[in-house]
Amino acid sequence: MRFARQVWVVAFKDLRAELRTKEAINSSLAFALVILLMFSYAFDPLADTTREMSGGLLWIVFAFAGTLVLNRSFARELPNDCLDGLIAAPVSGAALFLGKALANFLLVLAVQMVSLPVFGIFYNVPWTRQLPELLLVMVLGTWGLTIVGTVSSALTVNIRLRELMLPMLTYPIMFPALLGAMQLTAHLVGGNPIDEDHYGWLKMMIGFDVIYTGVSMVLVETILVG
Amino acid sequence: MSAVAVDGVWKFYGDYPALRDIRLEAAPGTCLALIGRNGAGKTTLLRIIAGFSRPGRGQIRIFGNQPRETETRRQTGFIGHGISVYDELSALENLTLYGKLYGLPDPRRTAGEWLERTGLARVANGLVREFSRGMRQRLAVARAFLHDPKVLLLDEPFTALDDKAIAVLQGLLRDALAQGRTIVMSTHQLREALELASHVALLTRGQVAFHGARTPEMVDDPGYVYARYAD
Amino acid sequence: MRGAVLNLMGVAAIGLLGLNHDSFTSAREEGFFYIPLAGVAAIAILASLVCSIAYLRTRNLRFDSAAVAATEAGLAFLAAAIVNGCCLTAYASGRFWSWDSALTSALVCWLLYAAYLMLRQSVDEITQRATYAAVWSIFAFLDIPLAVGAMSWWKPGVHIPTSWTLPRVVNLGALLLVAIVFAVVRMRQEELRRDIDSLRRSAQ
Repeated sequence: MRFARQVWVVAFKDLRAELRTKEAINSSLAFALVILLMFSYAFDPLADTTREMSGGLLWIVFAFAGTLVLNRSFARELPNDCLDGLIAAPVSGAALFLGKALANFLLVLAVQMVSLPVFGIFYNVPWTRQLPELLLVMVLGTWGLTIVGTVSSALTVNIRLRELMLPMLTYPIMFPALLGAMQLTAHLVGGNPIDEDHYGWLKMMIGFDVIYTGVSMVLVETILVG
Repeated sequence: MSAVAVDGVWKFYGDYPALRDIRLEAAPGTCLALIGRNGAGKTTLLRIIAGFSRPGRGQIRIFGNQPRETETRRQTGFIGHGISVYDELSALENLTLYGKLYGLPDPRRTAGEWLERTGLARVANGLVREFSRGMRQRLAVARAFLHDPKVLLLDEPFTALDDKAIAVLQGLLRDALAQGRTIVMSTHQLREALELASHVALLTRGQVAFHGARTPEMVDDPGYVYARYAD
Repeated sequence: MRGAVLNLMGVAAIGLLGLNHDSFTSAREEGFFYIPLAGVAAIAILASLVCSIAYLRTRNLRFDSAAVAATEAGLAFLAAAIVNGCCLTAYASGRFWSWDSALTSALVCWLLYAAYLMLRQSVDEITQRATYAAVWSIFAFLDIPLAVGAMSWWKPGVHIPTSWTLPRVVNLGALLLVAIVFAVVRMRQEELRRDIDSLRRSAQ
């Protein structure tokens, strides 16, 4: 299908460019590890209470480190006016947006996959016990973060204080999804299966992802062309 | 049907009209040179024609269709102030990328052909980051022509080109015109532009001060149009 | 600068109004202003959404002026509601913040729309600013039900009264009129700003 091909072409272009320079992914990973370490200064990593809430801390790490990747998303189109080239091409705004979101998603997920075992070791939590469910929550939460972050990246690409505005725009919108992700992750990382109480959070995260993916695909053309 | 028709276009920044009631036409196979001083609105108009921004009022039609339609974009090539190629990718990778985005049947082969025509075949696998300025300009030209567009929109294409790049571009533009393509070109470099142009439009402070065929007086004295028609 | 100071004074005035009444009368547990303030904010935000969508459809900049005016009025009243809520919480439980789900939702909504204002401030060109702000307004509004739902699941229960009684409805009417005055003044200011920008560009 033409749309899917275009999404993949755009995503592949971003991934290839990023993997060649590794600027965003290296700084994101380093930042994630630094925050993980800093949290252990603030909260005693050996205490049981810390183990209980550490799943929530994990999402703070992911959200902050993810911003470094998301900031680059549309910003990488600025040199040489590459964004003009993409907008002029016969690619729908939605395909362009999804392609970039997909590339961001894979990059942020990669950073998370490296951070997760490190976190498991630092905080000594049985994170592998509910691994499939945990990965599902990470995928859902990261997709939400990526969608909102990529839209914010498109909005802030041409404005002043871009690096400051992107987190300011992304995090408030992310509150519900992050809350859900934190609740679920804290629960799963402690080795507990998803129960009745937590199904609601899962449904909410899915709803969040669906709503924001849809709205973004519709509105991105307005953002890019006016 | 005209290739490019600008019909009563206004562009507002807030309440301020940067473009006022622009009416222009370019018939297929002609070359329209858009001239005017800095700030007259040439780049603004060209970007609206190319579909980068919307007019506040009025319409653009390219072969009867809106600029943002997929088919229109497939038939339009644009060179702006930036080269629109990625520094971190190679010349071949850049052109192949655009080939795929434009839906070409064999992007890699077409990319290779255009690298030959613009004299960049030897550096096909070099990263654009390492190219000289002239090489980057030639790559930009290859990118714009890659998908064989029927309409070319060029924003000050001769600015900051070295001699080799100017020669390449002029050759390509002449070939394009001979093949019946349409060119709309904004320019400061009057001499190079007027050599190619069949029609001229002068923009003054957001309005069309003159629009008509190129005359011998214009070629002899590039400042003629300004002197005669500008305020 | 002056605009910000005036705005702050307006917020403080409303906060004091509610505070004063609720602190020094026997009605202090009643919270006559908390719900009305939040109600006005909700109406203002809804008006802002309608104006934003109207702008995107018509590209008439008056709708953009109306949207920012409504949002700023809404934010001022929401801030007053939050401060008021903190005081009520203090009387009810001795602490200023009890993670009451309604109050926490209000805070999240406030941050959402504060981001809207910050976005507007970062874009210089008027038409672009109006377009970006309108798009963001839609994103922010969609988040409100999600945020309210999430906050109420997380820490269910409200600790200060949130029902609509007759005095509160009357106060809602009064405060709504005040909010409309604020919004109209702000809208005129925005129109003047546009005129000035237009003149500046003509002079260049």
